[in-house]
Amino acid sequence: MHIDPITLELINHSLACIADEMALTTVRASYSSNLKGSMDLSAALCDRHGELIVQGLTLPMHLGSIPDAIEAIKCKFGGSINPGDMFILNDPFDGGTHLPDIYLLKPVFVDGGLVAYACSIAHHSDIGGKVAGGNGCDATEIYQEGLRIPPLKLYDGGVPNEAITEILERNVRVPVQVMGDLRAQLAACHVGERSLLGLVSRYGAAGFERYTAELLDYTERLARQAIRALPDGTYSFTDYLDDDGIDPGPFPITVAVTVEGDSLRADFTGTALQVKGGINSPIPFTKSATYACVRCLMDPHIPNNAGFFRPIEVVAPPGTLVNPVLPAAVAARGLTGFRIANVVMGALAQAAPDRIPAAEVGGDTGVSIGGYYADRRPFVFLEFLLASWGGRPNKDGIDGNSSVVVNFSNNPVEVIEAEQPLRIEQYGFVPDSGGPGKYRGGLALVRDYRFLGGEATLQIRSDRRVGLPYGLAGGRPGTPSLNILNPDGENRVLPAKPSLTIHHGDVYRHILAGAGGHGDRLERDPARVLEDVLDEKITPAYALREYGVVIGPEAGALDEARTKRERRRRASKAAGR
Amino acid sequence: MIAEVPHIRLGVDIGGTFTDIVLRRADGTTAVRKVSSTTADYAQAIVSGLGELLAAEGLAAGAIGEIVHGTTVATNAILEGNGARTGLLTTKGFRDILEIRRLRYPQLYNLDWEKPVPLVRRRLRLEVDERMDHRGQVVRPLDMASAEASLDEAVVRGAESLAICFLHSYANPAHEQQVAELVRRKYPGLYLSVSSDILPQIKEYERTSTAVANAYIMPLIDRYLASLAGELATIGVETPILVMQSNGGVMSAEAARRQPVHIVESGPAAGAIAAAALARTCGYGNLIALDMGGTTAKASIVEGGELSRAPEYEVGSGISIGSRLNRGAGYLLGVPAIDIAEVGAGGGSIIWLDRAGAPQVGPQSAGAVPGPLCYDTGGSEPTLTDANLLLGYLNPRYLAGGALKLNYRRARDIFQRKVAEKLGLTTEEAAYGAHRIGSASMTRAVRAVSIERGRDPRDFALLAFGGSGPLHAAEVARTLDICRVIVPPAPGLFSAYGLLSADIEYHFLRTYLRRTADLTYGELESVWCEMARRAGETMAGDGFPDVEMRQFADLRYAGQSFELTVPADGRKIGELEEAFSQEHERTYGHRALNDPVELVNLRLVVQALPSRAAQPAHAVIAAAGASGEAVRPAYFGAPYGTLPTPVLGRRDLGCGQRRGPLIIEEYDATAVVPPGCVACLDEHCNILIEVGDRGE
Repeated sequence: MHIDPITLELINHSLACIADEMALTTVRASYSSNLKGSMDLSAALCDRHGELIVQGLTLPMHLGSIPDAIEAIKCKFGGSINPGDMFILNDPFDGGTHLPDIYLLKPVFVDGGLVAYACSIAHHSDIGGKVAGGNGCDATEIYQEGLRIPPLKLYDGGVPNEAITEILERNVRVPVQVMGDLRAQLAACHVGERSLLGLVSRYGAAGFERYTAELLDYTERLARQAIRALPDGTYSFTDYLDDDGIDPGPFPITVAVTVEGDSLRADFTGTALQVKGGINSPIPFTKSATYACVRCLMDPHIPNNAGFFRPIEVVAPPGTLVNPVLPAAVAARGLTGFRIANVVMGALAQAAPDRIPAAEVGGDTGVSIGGYYADRRPFVFLEFLLASWGGRPNKDGIDGNSSVVVNFSNNPVEVIEAEQPLRIEQYGFVPDSGGPGKYRGGLALVRDYRFLGGEATLQIRSDRRVGLPYGLAGGRPGTPSLNILNPDGENRVLPAKPSLTIHHGDVYRHILAGAGGHGDRLERDPARVLEDVLDEKITPAYALREYGVVIGPEAGALDEARTKRERRRRASKAAGR
Repeated sequence: MIAEVPHIRLGVDIGGTFTDIVLRRADGTTAVRKVSSTTADYAQAIVSGLGELLAAEGLAAGAIGEIVHGTTVATNAILEGNGARTGLLTTKGFRDILEIRRLRYPQLYNLDWEKPVPLVRRRLRLEVDERMDHRGQVVRPLDMASAEASLDEAVVRGAESLAICFLHSYANPAHEQQVAELVRRKYPGLYLSVSSDILPQIKEYERTSTAVANAYIMPLIDRYLASLAGELATIGVETPILVMQSNGGVMSAEAARRQPVHIVESGPAAGAIAAAALARTCGYGNLIALDMGGTTAKASIVEGGELSRAPEYEVGSGISIGSRLNRGAGYLLGVPAIDIAEVGAGGGSIIWLDRAGAPQVGPQSAGAVPGPLCYDTGGSEPTLTDANLLLGYLNPRYLAGGALKLNYRRARDIFQRKVAEKLGLTTEEAAYGAHRIGSASMTRAVRAVSIERGRDPRDFALLAFGGSGPLHAAEVARTLDICRVIVPPAPGLFSAYGLLSADIEYHFLRTYLRRTADLTYGELESVWCEMARRAGETMAGDGFPDVEMRQFADLRYAGQSFELTVPADGRKIGELEEAFSQEHERTYGHRALNDPVELVNLRLVVQALPSRAAQPAHAVIAAAGASGEAVRPAYFGAPYGTLPTPVLGRRDLGCGQRRGPLIIEEYDATAVVPPGCVACLDEHCNILIEVGDRGE
């Protein structure tokens, strides 16, 4: 069959539109802040074989896990996938990645033949378990983490299986939110199916299959081209998780990235064994994080489908932090996903030193505040905090930008306050926090939560307090993260991954880490240092200490002569060592 | 008493290259003038062009009843970053809201991504000690001393315009208004934008960004509209000026000076409105409008006669301004706008060779000054207009009916030296290459509103207008397999005609967050009445005492954060709930039977009467009468090469079909019908070009 280039491109964009429409539907119809505010969700379409033909521009960290979810469905239901079916699962050891992420998969049929799957993933605000929010670090086996849903038919030939929804409803703290969010996912699949049927009716099932197959091949060709452009070799990098909330660390994550011609292998041999706390990352998640990083070295405009990860192989020994086995706790695996991304980026930086930034400060931190109002109505607040990008080989890191691997939004302060017993009292940049370098790392962010209810459980997932976001090419690391209770009162420093009871009026302050810097800080243009001083992003004392740049005596002016002298003195001192 | 639409109305559309003026008399007859824009002071071109037009038509200045104006001044200020030095006062602890934005970025996986520079630098963002909660209750009283200190500091640091945005001011604007009072008292010369006046809507970043953008362009727009009114007065024109808004309605100049954030996409909106009006009056339901002037090409889409509009949008986000999922590329404005994609390709786009020696077109434009080579007004770089001249598409001696003389020899010599020789091509081959590259850029804008939205361009006709649109339309259509091109009468002035068919429409919004179960009909009625009273006062103050109001309500299930809008005229609470549930089912496939419904926003859309939309959208010209044919050589690439090409006027086309190649030359634009295409006129005097294969 002849491939018409306009039709190919039209189908490519149409698929992307459908996936984006599905994602937007989930956001708009959902109830919990983590979906409608943060956008912790994904939407995708797979072909009838289960190959990902498009993911909406949502969560890179979900991307590589979708084929595994469909595989789990096919494995169990192989011969009995029928029109009107809708599958559900969340088991990280059978197609999922952690319990709060519920997958809905709807097979789409045309004239009785399966043509595709519409897929929706959403991080629910609760799934039962020890603490609200489903991200606790303090469980030591998956059985403490909440409800495990194996691959099941939520709808069988159009008939809902109410046993599943009733069990789910009884096992979560906030059933109104969870059921509302589940309906939002159903709506996404509904919208996906409707639009997909329109598209297929235009080109016929055979034409659709032919073009989507060509789309995957086309993407694979572009991906292989991009990998071939990297120098052959093996590039290793290790970074650490501070602790797992149960045992002290540090726990190393090690990768050896081997580029060979037009394919790439990421081998995590040497990574710590699986740990007791919930930071173990199931293999689909490890693969997703790896794919997302390698993708950054490709043209950003290549289609978002399985074609681009065909040339990438991920090796992760079973029983490790990056490929845990039963009964590992995995609720807080998101944290490890970010560190896997940091490690893969660190290795890729050796292959492409002119393109990869220093360590970003992604979504390490998750905050969950849950409890009951006086009238026993439940509340759960869950959000993830993101900050800034690391310094880049040719420009500064970005102050205040989502992570390369998740692209979450922040939650509007006014919406949080209208819905939760919380007041956000501060949200802003932390001066003097970006890793120094010729190109500065992005600034840390600080957020203060005042609790206005009676009593609640505060659960925090944070890291980067000991092992700091690394710099590259001589750039310095960013500042550490910190948890403080009542900064204007008792000013108590909390551990990185605590669960504790808070009371009316308590203020919890989280300070994120600062991102890493890139290049020698003494080479930073003094004019840019001055701009940062004028914007109060750094203080004059810090400018002198870190950059050897002298501001003053006239306020807001650069003393070029003394800056030159100061920098010369430091350079010769360094050379003398 | 119902006011009548004034007898003589003017549409004035300013582009980066040309200023177009259309005058319409009560009997529907029109007169037009196209003059070069005066970018240093846009008002000059308007005043001189209008003066000429009045003289030529033998009209007195006093006969003009109304001027409707479309302008790109606001959008240029934001895109070029030359708005006012702006200060921002925020609630203590929230100085960085504007810069942090929503964190999400639009170009996933792009490590070179650069976030747009905030319109207010951190040094000019200052905090005030105060706090409201979401119910509008005071949590911390306003500390006037801290407000005054921050205000003074902003002024010391050079602010000439100021935005105020405090948390929850949509629920209670008292603190914002008290600080605004202080500003007016202490610094009466400082431009001021208060978020609760501009967008009294929940979500702090979106409200802040909108108020800041308003402040950023306010001094410029204020000075511009004041100077325009002043200069028009010098030639005796003292009639009210109306300004096209981004959403396709028009507002008074006074309102635009207060809330310029509504007119950011004023220029492009005029063309889109004209296209929608043509689709309705001529019976073409599905159109892609391609408006190509001297500097940019803009595309918008008309489906079933309706334009696609977005409730909020980002300015300066490049081509895909309508991406609803991944935002962050531009500056967010929480006001409605027509969905338009724009690329930097127009007649003035400069043709250059990149480092690899490959030819490129734009986005730099020679504009009106210094202009293309053939204008001989100081331009030294070859442009797309020069290429079209050398191909024989444009009249080798003059444009605009003789008003603009061309220097063919100068264009040819410099083009040869700077482009053709370096490429090792003949002049015609190189010019044809540039023509196709320019068309490819325009194709990107068309793709952005069609293919990238999942719409097949082959289901649409391409409506080409603007001074350069009809030159390139057939080529663009061929690339996308579009079968039909429509060139409306007076295509070069089409946007200016669009201004005359736009209605005066103001949008009022109030966030009124309540569960519908807790709401009584009486309470709702009193809120609507209060809104209607204030809306009526505002409109009357701007000179529109007779209005028609329509009510809309944004509702959601308690717990959701996004609303669905339903018509609310006269609807009781139960009827609103049912209308919402129906809409929810239609949109998402289900309704939540047990979940309470929440009212979020009340919207009032107010239109001044009488409506202007009934007026014909485009020029009415007589189809009879021939102007005589000529023939000149024109180059169409392989396999045709140079062909003797008939050059005719629109009327010569008659009702029969004529095969290309043809060149249809008019006062304000030139249309090219390449070989392989067929052209005819429809009953509305539109040129229809049926596009065939290139013949390669």
